[in-house]
Amino acid sequence: MMKWIKLAMRNILRNKRRSLVTLIAIAVGFSAISLFRGYTDRIYWFLKEGAIRGESLAHLTIYKADWLEKGKLDPERYMFSQEEIKRITGLVMQEKEVVLITPQIQVNGLITNGTISLPFIAQGVVPGDDKIIKGSWAALRPMTGEQLNDHKPYGVEVAKDLARFLNLEPGKDGVVMAPTLSGQMNALDIQVAGVFDTTMAATNDKFMRFNFDFAQSLYNTKGAEKFVVLLKDEKKTGKMRKAILAKLTAAGIACEIKTWNEMSAYYARSKGLLDVILLFILSIVLVIVTMSTVNTMSMAILERTREIGTLRALGLKQRGISILFATEGGLMGLFGSLAGIVIHLIVCTILRIVSPTYMPPSGTVAVRLWVDYIPATLFALMVFLVFLSLLTAFIAARRAAGQNIVDALKHV
Amino acid sequence: MSLIEMHNIRKDYHLGETVVHALRGIDLEIDKGEFVAIWGPSGSGKTTLLNLIGAIDEPTEGDVTMAGRNIRSLSDNQKSELRNERIGFIFQSFNLVPVLSAVENVMLPIQIKGVSYSEAKLKALGRLKEVGISELAHHRPFKMSGGQQQRVAIARALVNGPSLVIADEPTANLDSETAQIIISIMRDMNENDKITFIFSTHDQRLLNQVKRMVRMEDGRIVNGDARR
Ligand SMILES: Nc1ncnc2c1ncn2[C@@H]1O[C@H](COP(=O)(O)OP(=O)(O)O)[C@@H](O)[C@H]1O
Ligand SMILES: [Mg+2]
Repeated sequence: MMKWIKLAMRNILRNKRRSLVTLIAIAVGFSAISLFRGYTDRIYWFLKEGAIRGESLAHLTIYKADWLEKGKLDPERYMFSQEEIKRITGLVMQEKEVVLITPQIQVNGLITNGTISLPFIAQGVVPGDDKIIKGSWAALRPMTGEQLNDHKPYGVEVAKDLARFLNLEPGKDGVVMAPTLSGQMNALDIQVAGVFDTTMAATNDKFMRFNFDFAQSLYNTKGAEKFVVLLKDEKKTGKMRKAILAKLTAAGIACEIKTWNEMSAYYARSKGLLDVILLFILSIVLVIVTMSTVNTMSMAILERTREIGTLRALGLKQRGISILFATEGGLMGLFGSLAGIVIHLIVCTILRIVSPTYMPPSGTVAVRLWVDYIPATLFALMVFLVFLSLLTAFIAARRAAGQNIVDALKHV
Repeated sequence: MSLIEMHNIRKDYHLGETVVHALRGIDLEIDKGEFVAIWGPSGSGKTTLLNLIGAIDEPTEGDVTMAGRNIRSLSDNQKSELRNERIGFIFQSFNLVPVLSAVENVMLPIQIKGVSYSEAKLKALGRLKEVGISELAHHRPFKMSGGQQQRVAIARALVNGPSLVIADEPTANLDSETAQIIISIMRDMNENDKITFIFSTHDQRLLNQVKRMVRMEDGRIVNGDARR
């Protein structure tokens, strides 16, 4: 094999300009894919953390069976009772992989500053637990004033635009209104603890966050709508869903468990979109690489028709001819990919030094443009492109390998 | 048994509607160790005949046997092996691989056979010495004269120890002095190693060196056994 690699190398160098053009095509194609992949990888991570920590979805969400179908019609029946809260918390906390389990309630209602009222959607969370879920993500959550806390149960967090519309700021008072579970209108005084930025225009004008106990009193209930479960390791999400479901079912508690990615429609939609774009880029690169390899190899094969005839006369088999050109194609793919890796690393480095920012489509804060460097992905892509160019060259050479030797020898 | 046996060989080429009868009934036997010149005017069928003997083409009619094996019965891969191990080729325009040095060119047939690099190199250098251009072993073909290139080609044809070497107009691209030298090198190989040589030429001046002359005209052998 070594001898054919040497021969292929020399033939690549024989027409430097043509080889260089092919190499550049492969390198650019490679880096287009790898850079986009590195970019989306960062975004996926960001979206994932945003869902798990930012949206306080944690890893798993536990609902009472049928809550998602019928819960809104008869909340009382499909919520977890005080006693169930205790039991479930105890059972789930037995699992070693679980960091914490915490109840949540979502409240829909109106908030007023005395003159104007606006609708809101509020998440009722246990402040101490939520702080653990947010973890380091809290730093990424632009906020003025203070967070939810246990000292002041009526202290609430208000999203930026909602606060602005109502002219509310930390320390100011207001009133929230919502129907209780049994249908009467209830109103409670609040004080704005903090104003936060959801970083999304669509939610910045309606989101609020309540202390869990406060949300319970507004709904006049001791129950919980759902639990969220934080795990030590995100990769065990699927496994733990099964384990916890089995455990709760065995204990006679009928429930449904959703994973964070099932819960976050935003994550699924964003990932879906980016995946389609990646596929699109991939297919374009595929066409470019294939066409330029076919083009280069066909020219090389045509030019070397007499050489092919000579090698055949010397006893090289048809397959040997194909392998010879496939080696050339494969080497081209290899060098092109290596050049692509270099481009990738250069771009990565420049981005780390210059650190440009951009505004995400649905966002309100600029995000740093970042491309991840994932050796495994680069390697897989390289193997793929080497194989692709090798195969392309092999197919391109097959006809030449099978041609009549006498005709090939006469070729000028 | 002769090394090569041909009986009533015909070869037609189809050029659109017209058929060219390149060989019109050839009977020829060549024994081991012969040094044969196929000679005749251009278009008489010399190249066509050599291609059939060299197992790179097939007759329209009749069979060619080499050492008793009917070439027609061989698969493409078997013919490749036959050429690699038993037949050496020398071409009119040398046909050296331009990206390989002289010694690497000579190594090709051995490496195609699958012999190790070091053994191939040793043999190749030996053959280059025999044809008298050891000092050019590491030169690329474009740095050599025609005569030097053809010597490399001879070394390449001989390197696998073939029983037969086929040379189609090996001197047509060389001046007459160099042509004589090339033929005499081939002749020496024939005498020393008992390798059979068949070459074609339209240059009568080269015939003084051969043992047997096969005269062709119009796709037929007009005198197949002129000996000297
Ligand atoms: N591939 C081909 N197609 C058509 N005719 C051919 C082909 N090769 C050779 N011929 C014809 O066959 C005849 C013999 O050719 P060739 O064997 O090359 O003769 P020589 O080598 O003696 O000059 C010539 O008339 C030539 O034109
Ligand atoms: Mg000829």
